Amino acid sequence: MPMPDRKTHFSLSQQMRWRLLLLPYALGIIILVLIPGLLSFGLAFFHYDALSPPTWAGTLNFTLAYTDELFNLSIRNSLALILIPVPLRVFGAFFLARLMQRNGRFLSWFRSAVYLPTIVPGAAFALAWLWILNPLYGPLNLFLQSIGLNGPAWLVDPTWAKPGLVLMALWQIGEGFIVSMAALYDIPVDLEDAARIDGAGSWATLRHIILPIIAPILLILTFRDAIFTFQESFTHIYLMTEGGPYYATYTLPLFIYEQGFDLRLFGTASAALWVMYTITGLIVVALYTIAKQWNIGTTEDSLVL
Amino acid sequence: MSSRRMFITLLRIVVAIILLLPLLFMVTTSLYPPGEPLPTTLQLLPQRPTFANYQRIFDLLPMGRYTLNSLLVVGLAVPITLVVSSWAGLGMARLSRPAQRRWIVISLAVLMVPGIALWSTRFLLYRTLGWYDTVWALVAPAWMGTSPFYILMFYRACRRIPSAMFDAAQIDGAGVLRTWWSIILPMTRTTAVGVALLTFVFYWGDFISPLLYLRTGDKYTLPVALQTLQQLSRSDWSLMLAAAVWTTAIPILLFLLLQPVFSRSQKGS
Repeated sequence: MPMPDRKTHFSLSQQMRWRLLLLPYALGIIILVLIPGLLSFGLAFFHYDALSPPTWAGTLNFTLAYTDELFNLSIRNSLALILIPVPLRVFGAFFLARLMQRNGRFLSWFRSAVYLPTIVPGAAFALAWLWILNPLYGPLNLFLQSIGLNGPAWLVDPTWAKPGLVLMALWQIGEGFIVSMAALYDIPVDLEDAARIDGAGSWATLRHIILPIIAPILLILTFRDAIFTFQESFTHIYLMTEGGPYYATYTLPLFIYEQGFDLRLFGTASAALWVMYTITGLIVVALYTIAKQWNIGTTEDSLVL
Repeated sequence: MSSRRMFITLLRIVVAIILLLPLLFMVTTSLYPPGEPLPTTLQLLPQRPTFANYQRIFDLLPMGRYTLNSLLVVGLAVPITLVVSSWAGLGMARLSRPAQRRWIVISLAVLMVPGIALWSTRFLLYRTLGWYDTVWALVAPAWMGTSPFYILMFYRACRRIPSAMFDAAQIDGAGVLRTWWSIILPMTRTTAVGVALLTFVFYWGDFISPLLYLRTGDKYTLPVALQTLQQLSRSDWSLMLAAAVWTTAIPILLFLLLQPVFSRSQKGS
């Protein structure tokens, strides 16, 4: 059936209009992420205090940052505070999603209980845990005392400050919980039932049916959580320990904050960030490879993130 | 009930209690009478609970002002985020498959950019735009939908809408915006409620932006008030935790209020 000319024209522009809906998002990414990111990349070669115009510094900022003992310490602390809590958080989120997966009484309330701690604002959560981890009056040590144990001094003790922060990081795992639950929902129930009929136990089902399907999602979640933990720990550390005791919780965000916003050495702060650009770059490449390998976003409803 | 199901229910109860304990401690400690020595044994409730600390935080700090500031930030950020992210999600769902995939990868890449990489240059950007020390410095991320995560949530919801829906809307002469408002938004309302809640929680709890981009005290939001209180009265635990409870109460109430929406949608899927 011949189409009138005007109509063809209309449907073309209609397609363009759908695309226009992406414009604010695209502009936002360019202005708020791409440009600041690139600027910060280049700022590493300049002296800049945000008051007078920037002057060329060559590689001096890199020398300043990378020979700073505090910088090296902050990298080590940051790595420790990512590598230990993140796998625990992702595992915990997945375990809880699995525990809350099948029907039961009050299931939606149990799920809410898992998510509720994530809603607590970071600063309020920090104060609550500052209290819980208080060596003398804190509920945790009072509890340990009541069962005959002598609790450590937690955030006041250089060896126990990091474990204290790791412990509190295990409570706010709502995002991972929701993502894992969505991933589990996308696995057809028949698949699991079939495995059960074939005599597979719950461990075998998990190992051979469920994990292979949601592995890429758990991997992306791990990357995402590493970045999130890195960022969110700043609020906690800033309010709870200020990097102490004896720099035991002094992390890269704290170093950047001091260089940039206390000392106004934006160049040195940017030079220090280059480590992070490298890591982020590697993560993005890894992500792209994973997305390609597992065809994320190409099969129907395989995308949960 | 089989023993396996009993075990699962029991495990669920234990997990829920453990996860809610910090909130419980926060509330009970805020009820201790001011000035009284704290107990040295584990107690669930103070012997004479009082709301006196809640009065005291309002006497010490302009908490009403801070609360209004926080409400203003979420009041601006949530609607902007909803519009930008639902538009982008819908726009993505209408693209060709390869283009959809490109946008997914872009979104995931942006999701991986750590905020601290942008701290100093966003500071410079906001100063150039005249947003420094205004509420817009706190709201700014809303203009990109706050987080690519939310765009992907809308994208996922929009892809489930049969394309016959779009054809029908087009035949009826509905334009893009009309289709978005009267067809897409109602059909993705569970996602919209979820995104609104996550956005609310994000801006309500944001401590870093006011720390970096605000200078004037009367523009501060509640998380900064908590920091001020902590510096003001370091060992006055019941006072600090009363402020923490005040800051936490609104997002929690909102969540409990909206909880039925989510549980209904979970049953549906």
